[in-house]
Amino acid sequence: MFARRRFAVLKDLLEYVGIEPGRLHFSWISSAEAAKFQETVLAVTEAVKALGPAKHMIKDIRKVA
Amino acid sequence: MSTTQEIAAQIREAAKRLLSEGKVDCVIGFAQGTVPMREYPYFAYTPEEAENLTWSRFCCNNLSNFLVRRPKGQADKVAIVAQGCVSRNIVGLIKENQITREQVYILGVASPGMVDRNKVQALFPLKTITEVTEDGDELIVKGLGFEERVPTKKVLRQNCYTCVMRNPVIKDEMIGEESAPTHGGNIDKVAAPWEKLAPEERWAAFQETFKDCIRCYACRDACPLCYCHVCFVDEARPQWCGKTQDEADVATFHILRAFHCAGRCTDCGACESACPVGIKMRKLTSMIEKDIRELYGYTPGMDLESQPPLSVYKPNDPQEFIK
Amino acid sequence: MSEKAEFQPRIAAFLCNWCSYGAADLAGVSRLQYPPNIHVIRIPCTGRMSPKFILQAFRQGIDGVWVSG
Repeated sequence: MFARRRFAVLKDLLEYVGIEPGRLHFSWISSAEAAKFQETVLAVTEAVKALGPAKHMIKDIRKVA
Repeated sequence: MSTTQEIAAQIREAAKRLLSEGKVDCVIGFAQGTVPMREYPYFAYTPEEAENLTWSRFCCNNLSNFLVRRPKGQADKVAIVAQGCVSRNIVGLIKENQITREQVYILGVASPGMVDRNKVQALFPLKTITEVTEDGDELIVKGLGFEERVPTKKVLRQNCYTCVMRNPVIKDEMIGEESAPTHGGNIDKVAAPWEKLAPEERWAAFQETFKDCIRCYACRDACPLCYCHVCFVDEARPQWCGKTQDEADVATFHILRAFHCAGRCTDCGACESACPVGIKMRKLTSMIEKDIRELYGYTPGMDLESQPPLSVYKPNDPQEFIK
Repeated sequence: MSEKAEFQPRIAAFLCNWCSYGAADLAGVSRLQYPPNIHVIRIPCTGRMSPKFILQAFRQGIDGVWVSG
């Protein structure tokens, strides 16, 4: 519940600075919902696969060293 | 409307009275800087020291910052000169249990709108400014071989144009009279400037804004919200944020710094004034505050009763982003 | 095989011990098939989740983050 407020803001912030919305997923799955878990894993994997590798936050050691 | 010079005199009077009566142990205010347009925070412990206090349009620091960082065992009752944003930060600190209301004696001042010294300097490129004085709504800028008058409206800090509360929200004593609560700007129109950009362009705009960051942490140190004893950037195990100027490290620092201000930032502009390379970090924080206003209808520091937005919840909070 | 191998993302999945971690367990017990790209990190509760974790994951070369309560 507190996390929901926190991550509502964080997700907006990360989208605002240009991290693709598809990289960050939130879901609510109860421990009895194995099928929903499977669906969500598939959806998340597909979304991230479509975006390709993330580069923004990776430090380029060659540049700073 | 009294001029800042008259208000400065009244602040000195009040400070002297409070210190000699023993009501407070220390008065936190501003003193004249050695360089023009650089008023600096000043701690007056005796009535004689109170003579040095001043008030002008160059008092850019947020004084409430010093309420939480005072060394232990020192004066426990302090008076502080507070305009709108500072008083809102004091409210925030009281809510977060960093100080108590009884500890502070607030000398409320209506904010004239602070001047951005970088903007003044930009009007006189490559020239040395030796003296800047105020004359009503104009600044008299004197330098080597020139003297010009500049309307203050032209050189206010960006956040002061869109200030929502110039008068102190809590105070023990008002110095000078209250002014109109705003400068007339609308914060929602200028907040979150990158929202108009296409999602692909935003990262580039973000990097462009922060590319000069030298990681001096002046924005963090100037911020009254950042009072943690160990900041996340100083933590080494795990190291959340590297110490280099690489874009990934700079981005991590600024994203998390902005996020830590979520629902607390009063848009006082101390971070931008403190930045030695002139980074406009309000482009980040203004977006978060706008978000908080839109999602939870909260403006930080306006009263002592309401709960901080990220410390409470409602069952019907927005949750479209959760699958 | 001249074709380039398909991009396989690495996804950090922060799962709440009591909800989604249980669901993951149940999915395993029920033999439901799902892609092997997720790296499950168990957290005691979604309330333990911090924005730092997400940024740290991206910094370490993760392609996507999934938080599930």
